[in-house]
Amino acid sequence: MGKVIATRLARLVATLLAVTFLTFSMTALLPGDPVNAILGVDAVRDPEVVAKIRADLGLDDPFLVRYVNWLGNAATGDLGQSYITDQEVITTISQRLPVTAQLAFMAIIMALILAIPIGVLGAYKQGKWQDSTTSAGVQVALSIPNFIVGIFLIWLFSVRLGWLPASNWNRISSDGLVENLKTAILPASALAMTQMAIFSRLVRSDMIATLQENYILAARSKGLSDRFILLRHALRPSSLSLMTIIGINFGALLGGTVIIETLFAIPGVGFRLINAINQRDIIVIQGITVFIATAYVVINTIVDLLYAVVDPRIRKG
Amino acid sequence: MGVIAMRRRGLYRAVAFLAAAGLVAGACGGSDDSAPADTTEESSEEAEAPAEESAEEPAEEPAVEAGDEAEGDVDTEVIEEETTIEYGGSVSVGLEAEATGLRPWEDSCSSPCYNMMIAVYDKLMEQDATGAYAPYLAESITPNEDFTVWTMTLRGDVTFHNGVELTAQTIADMFPIQQAGAAGSGAVTAANLVSVEATGDLEVTYTLSQGGSAFPASLARAPIGMVFDPAAAAADSEGYSMAPIGTGPFVIDSRDLDNETTFVRNDSYWGTDPDGNALPYLDSISFRPIPDEGTRLDALLSGTVNAMQTLRQGTIRDARAARDDDGADITLWEFQGNNLGGGMYNVLVPPFDDVRVRRGLTHLNSQEQVIEALGGTGISLPATQWFSPDSPWWSEKVAEAWPQFDFEGGVAFLTEYINDPERSDGKAAGEMIDVELSCPPDPTLIASTQVVEQAYTATGLVNVTITNYDQQTHIGIALGGENGFVGSHQQHCWRWSSDDDPAVNLNPALAPPTAEIAEAAGLAGVVSPLNFPNWFSPTAFQAAVAANQTDDFETRYGLYESIMLEFADQVPVYYSGHTATAIGTDTNVLGLNSWHVPSGELGIGFPSAEGRWSEVFIAS
Repeated sequence: MGKVIATRLARLVATLLAVTFLTFSMTALLPGDPVNAILGVDAVRDPEVVAKIRADLGLDDPFLVRYVNWLGNAATGDLGQSYITDQEVITTISQRLPVTAQLAFMAIIMALILAIPIGVLGAYKQGKWQDSTTSAGVQVALSIPNFIVGIFLIWLFSVRLGWLPASNWNRISSDGLVENLKTAILPASALAMTQMAIFSRLVRSDMIATLQENYILAARSKGLSDRFILLRHALRPSSLSLMTIIGINFGALLGGTVIIETLFAIPGVGFRLINAINQRDIIVIQGITVFIATAYVVINTIVDLLYAVVDPRIRKG
Repeated sequence: MGVIAMRRRGLYRAVAFLAAAGLVAGACGGSDDSAPADTTEESSEEAEAPAEESAEEPAEEPAVEAGDEAEGDVDTEVIEEETTIEYGGSVSVGLEAEATGLRPWEDSCSSPCYNMMIAVYDKLMEQDATGAYAPYLAESITPNEDFTVWTMTLRGDVTFHNGVELTAQTIADMFPIQQAGAAGSGAVTAANLVSVEATGDLEVTYTLSQGGSAFPASLARAPIGMVFDPAAAAADSEGYSMAPIGTGPFVIDSRDLDNETTFVRNDSYWGTDPDGNALPYLDSISFRPIPDEGTRLDALLSGTVNAMQTLRQGTIRDARAARDDDGADITLWEFQGNNLGGGMYNVLVPPFDDVRVRRGLTHLNSQEQVIEALGGTGISLPATQWFSPDSPWWSEKVAEAWPQFDFEGGVAFLTEYINDPERSDGKAAGEMIDVELSCPPDPTLIASTQVVEQAYTATGLVNVTITNYDQQTHIGIALGGENGFVGSHQQHCWRWSSDDDPAVNLNPALAPPTAEIAEAAGLAGVVSPLNFPNWFSPTAFQAAVAANQTDDFETRYGLYESIMLEFADQVPVYYSGHTATAIGTDTNVLGLNSWHVPSGELGIGFPSAEGRWSEVFIAS
């Protein structure tokens, strides 16, 4: 087990080094000067101010020097300070992470609530019309981009029915849980659609395999009800790969809500990242990218380790 | 809803930008107390004169007069609101972006953040309905003979939100902070402002290194014109962005970045409406960044917000459809300003260094089709100059001179260049020219770029490469700080002009773009990184300089017209249409088009979808 952890940690460090270097390189390769974004076009006519800002930010240093300096600070938890807002990047992330995490969590829960019954039904009725219908529905859900779903949800539930707000975010701390959920439900639903499709396909295929196991046949021969067999004997062993995917997708959602957060104007990590890109706020872009990569890799590593804990064959292998 | 008391047409032309002259007259006319009133009267009298003359001598009536409301675009009107005002209530405004910050001296501010700043800060000057600069937090301002020294008297009994009194020393103490500020330093340099002194309790003296008759325009812009508490700013600059302190009608209540910023009524606000009612009317106003245009409109239609701004023609079109076809209860406060879309050619880069190429490509630019791609049909008219027909600076002569869409004419110019053995791009005679056309990756801009590309390609003479970079990169490429501000762009989408005095936008765009060009022109040291096309004409530059050294409107008009005529001949830039902007509100949100400057005149309205919120109210 110790070897597994060590290997995973080594991979984690290597991945983060690669991600930070690539992010740093790509932002450095962009044409134009970040000072323009800080000063605005009108202000660049004062060369002294431009020179001072460049010096303050170390923009005159060679690329590798800047990268190593930044990496050294990042290793100690200092991801730098926004060029534009002056806010510490770590503060920016910590303020926005709860919003994104809540969206991701709600999306996963909503997806599971739909996906498990659909997947189980598809497996139980394999090849029948119920299976064909749910499979077709899942295929449609999988093929529609989530921002299209979001636009439709806004049109239906906000503009037409007037039930829910079209944008922005009510915070639990100031507005209460109910008001918070009113602003969270539509973006979370938009995110959940694709997740639901992925999860239900996984549950269906895993359960089809499980239902062919000998112990299921034995249970059936004992005269146990289908419902009991499906929920008690078949679903649990079929959920192992689902757990893996949930973990991976939760990590992906932390960085994958960019479009939905922008569409719904949700003040999460993704929305801040888009704003930072528009403002050419390189330090924030780097900080958030590294955070997203770290979250993704760490969650994947944890899932892998848990998998090893749950399944002795992997641990021993 | 209201009665049209004043339109920008007619009156607009003669009065506009006589600010300096009016202010001089006001000062000569009497005491400080009477100065603003005198100023207004003087302006109004002069305004009527040309109208009378034209009524008597209608010999050659042009199709459109400068300042006339043009047909086929949005109507810009400021009116006196007739509905009885009501106190209380809140307005929630959807903005296209979050403010980068709320410090006028530091944060580069565009339309969204301006909406927020104007709630909390007052400006020293404002533009009235005619476009003229009128005292706001200032009470009067007068120049010396050569416009190098401006003496301003402040309004008395004004306090900041923290209780600190506004004095002349406040303005003087703001200056070093503005000089060092990221946004302020450029504005100080542009205004040639070298010192600001308190020469009395409420008297401030501005000294410029060279005469600037348009200096009041600088005091109507955020970096120099918005008044902040310098002591508080010096104590905690970063904190000021989250908790700004001004003298404005609203006080910061909460700031949740990227989500919502709320301001509440300033109960001690100095301002009143023309009837003497205390301002502001609203209890509170909040601003929410909603970057997606569709969502922002949906937020208004669904009641998530009760006001929203847009600078996109397509959104105005959609909002009109929601109102007219779907019966949505919204009011669209549309504004047709001078700001216009289009682009530029980098004249230091072949083949754009040859005017035949620039003329040829401009003739191939079907403005009507580009405007349609931008969603602006029926909203924006094709532009021919930096001023819309509503503007006093608009010129019929320039409109006629501008190279219109003419496919065959464009082909002829390009063919002449291509067959020239001495062509500047070094290619052999007969070879196609290469054009890199770059625009930010906005869907409507991409669509409009494709219209242009199709026209170029159809000639069989142009190889077109389209590139799309994000906004900041796009600007950076044209700015080109790394190569002496020449830039690496070729044909580059760009926006031009504003409703400010032409000196604000046009003059910097005409100065020599590089040190070498400046030296060759005998203008060593006069270099402007804001000359993005890198086109330099000594005559145009001198005309711009001369226009900033006189306050006579007709003289200035002639000078700027000559510059626009040279643009039409040399085409360093090209245009699509003037940009209409709009603020959409629920129908019971009133007063956006009827705010006033302290003299009682109507303000300019809401250019660039920038609302002044002090006289906005909610009708029951």
